[in-house]
Amino acid sequence: MRSNNVLGFIFAGTLDEKNPELSASRTMASVPIGGKYRLIDFVLSNMSNSGINNVGIVAKSNFLSLMDHVGSGSAYDLSKRRSNLTILPPYGGKTFSNYVETIYNMHGYIENSREEYILLSPSNIVTNFDYNSVFDFHSKNNADITLIYKHGVVPSGYDRPLTIDVDENGRVKQIFIKPEKDDKKVNQFYGSLLIKKDLLMEEIRNSLSLNQLDIKRIIQKSIEKFNVYAYENTGYCAAISSINDYFEFNMDLMKKEVRDELFNPKRPIYTKVRDDAPSKYGLTSSVKNSIIAQGCVIDGEVENCVLSKGVYIGEGAKISNCIVMQDTKIGCNTNLNYVIIDKDVTIKDGRSLMGFDSYPIYIAKKSVV
Amino acid sequence: MFPKQEVVAMLLAGGQGSRLGVLTRKIAKPAVPFGGKYRIIDFPLSNCVNSGIEAVGILTQYQPLVLNEYIGNGQPWDLDGMHSGVNCLSPYQAVDGADWYSGTANAIYQNINYIERYDPEYVVILSGDHIYKMDYNKMLEFHKEKGAACTIAVIDVPLDEASRFGILNTYEDGRIYEFDEKPEHPKSTNASMGIYIFSWKELKKYLVEDEAKENSSHDFGKDVLPAMLDAGEKMYAYAFEGYWKDVGTIDSLWEANMDLLDPNVTLDLKDIYSRNPMMPPHYVSSDASIQNSLVADGCNVYGNLEFSIIFAGVTIGKNATVNSSIIMPGAVIEEGAVVQYAIVAENTVVGKNAVVGEKPEDVTDHDNWGITVIGANTVIGENTVIKAKEMIESNTEVTADEK
Repeated sequence: MRSNNVLGFIFAGTLDEKNPELSASRTMASVPIGGKYRLIDFVLSNMSNSGINNVGIVAKSNFLSLMDHVGSGSAYDLSKRRSNLTILPPYGGKTFSNYVETIYNMHGYIENSREEYILLSPSNIVTNFDYNSVFDFHSKNNADITLIYKHGVVPSGYDRPLTIDVDENGRVKQIFIKPEKDDKKVNQFYGSLLIKKDLLMEEIRNSLSLNQLDIKRIIQKSIEKFNVYAYENTGYCAAISSINDYFEFNMDLMKKEVRDELFNPKRPIYTKVRDDAPSKYGLTSSVKNSIIAQGCVIDGEVENCVLSKGVYIGEGAKISNCIVMQDTKIGCNTNLNYVIIDKDVTIKDGRSLMGFDSYPIYIAKKSVV
Repeated sequence: MFPKQEVVAMLLAGGQGSRLGVLTRKIAKPAVPFGGKYRIIDFPLSNCVNSGIEAVGILTQYQPLVLNEYIGNGQPWDLDGMHSGVNCLSPYQAVDGADWYSGTANAIYQNINYIERYDPEYVVILSGDHIYKMDYNKMLEFHKEKGAACTIAVIDVPLDEASRFGILNTYEDGRIYEFDEKPEHPKSTNASMGIYIFSWKELKKYLVEDEAKENSSHDFGKDVLPAMLDAGEKMYAYAFEGYWKDVGTIDSLWEANMDLLDPNVTLDLKDIYSRNPMMPPHYVSSDASIQNSLVADGCNVYGNLEFSIIFAGVTIGKNATVNSSIIMPGAVIEEGAVVQYAIVAENTVVGKNAVVGEKPEDVTDHDNWGITVIGANTVIGENTVIKAKEMIESNTEVTADEK
């Protein structure tokens, strides 16, 4: 299968409801992450780098910042004569909380696209992944459906996730719903799958006619009728399901092997660029083990932090274990530890804020402390 | 037919910039990296856009590949309009022959067709080797107000430096009565900034006349401007206040970069646009120490930085020290290396414990001290010492034994 025969289809609002802080003013897809990115940049760049030409993004609510961020799709090379990025806002003003009706609602877009296959994906997966390996795997096995999974502990924000049992050829033997949360390592299906468009729409229509709206149940039942295979994403793969995952992933970026894999220059992660100057370190700055985007002005002490574009750190400030989103100003002689600070926040001179490793404090967008 | 543009800018970018030595071996001077993420040409181009000029012709001749590629369709500068935008104009073959651009005026003469497509009233002539922010609109208003045929931007320079510049002597109202090229005894301190606004009708007339003169060098400064003055055209000097620096030499290029770190210098980088590399934010390790420096995306800093400009994708190894230096994109400074008062060009590797450049205070022979320059794609071997003012050729390998 050639990748230009695959339509990309991304759900922007993945786990919105599980992340009330981060997605208060935006949908999960456009949550700022890793200093200069938004969550969806990873999935979108992977699709573009894998040769997918057309991508639709289902937007449910609060998608202004998403539209602003992805724009025409040109940053991802998805705005050309033969490639397109389309934001799919609620059609007929209707939004649905289940995948079956959400997909059916967009049947016009899906059926009108020229591709034969469709790759469904959530927006909360941070990975650098070549989908061509899945396309080859799918063709080789004559699969009807290929599920993409990762092996590991299920992140805390997932309620009753799907886990799969595969045989040595990658064929899915059984699909379970995992009822309890624990530290066991399992094969988690995180919502990304490849299927023929016609087959998907047929199944969606059948399910609707039976009023069967539970996508997990439909996927579980699929192994009775179809050739269902599963492909493991063996690389670095973080599913952002909660504010703790969010914090942990940002801190993972301090590891060289994570950065080297995620930001492989042969498969770059694209994002909307802003014309920020290089970051300026002052005479009184001291920065240790941190990720710093451009446009920052740093006069204070920064340790184990991720600073987004245009952040200002005043003289005498001591900032540790913090994630600071764009254009936030942190005043002089402040003291912050384990704090996630959203965009455009002002922390006035001399303020102190302390969170804890397992419980970072969150400061909302545009707050003044 | 193109919609009319009141102003067309023509940017002279064809010169070799030989005084920059190894830095312009494979690229034209305007494409030389500057300020941590820019190239010199970003400054005049951004000025054009910020002044509302929508049509810009870039005259290229020497090593145009990198420059052409960098400009591309002009999108980073908003110069990708449907009927206007940026065009790279190289010399071409025509029915009556083919000519290289023989001088700055000849380059414009050969592109009269390009300019006339827009039917402009005014033409702005710019050069690609100056760092400054300027609103050309204000200068144009002055030009219109005076009813001038030509307006030349000038900057006040210290009297003892005036003999390095082209000095314009004017009456009180700014009207020019004399050009004084690098005068021994300057009468004023109005130095030409190489920025001209012409009323197009007048300029065209003089370009055609100049082209016909056999003994002309077809240069604005030497031929066209003096001819206009002799003919009694109204020529005015427009005084610019603000930061302006010619970066045509290694020393001035280094100084202009260092000016970005000086809080007393008025140049800021806001609204200067450039093509951005797709790299992640930079990483600073627990062992690193960074003071008074600019660092761009994609860098990995494990060593020490002081008073330095670090471009995208640079690696500074553990215990390496970079002081008062400019490290261009993709360069690697390996563990324990020392780089001071130096410019290290793109993708060059400075090996372990190598020492590049010297501090002026550590040199006994002060007259021969200078900035050290390492060309692009070069490898400086481990433990190699490169002295002050040395210039190492691009695409070479220097080892400690050879030295």
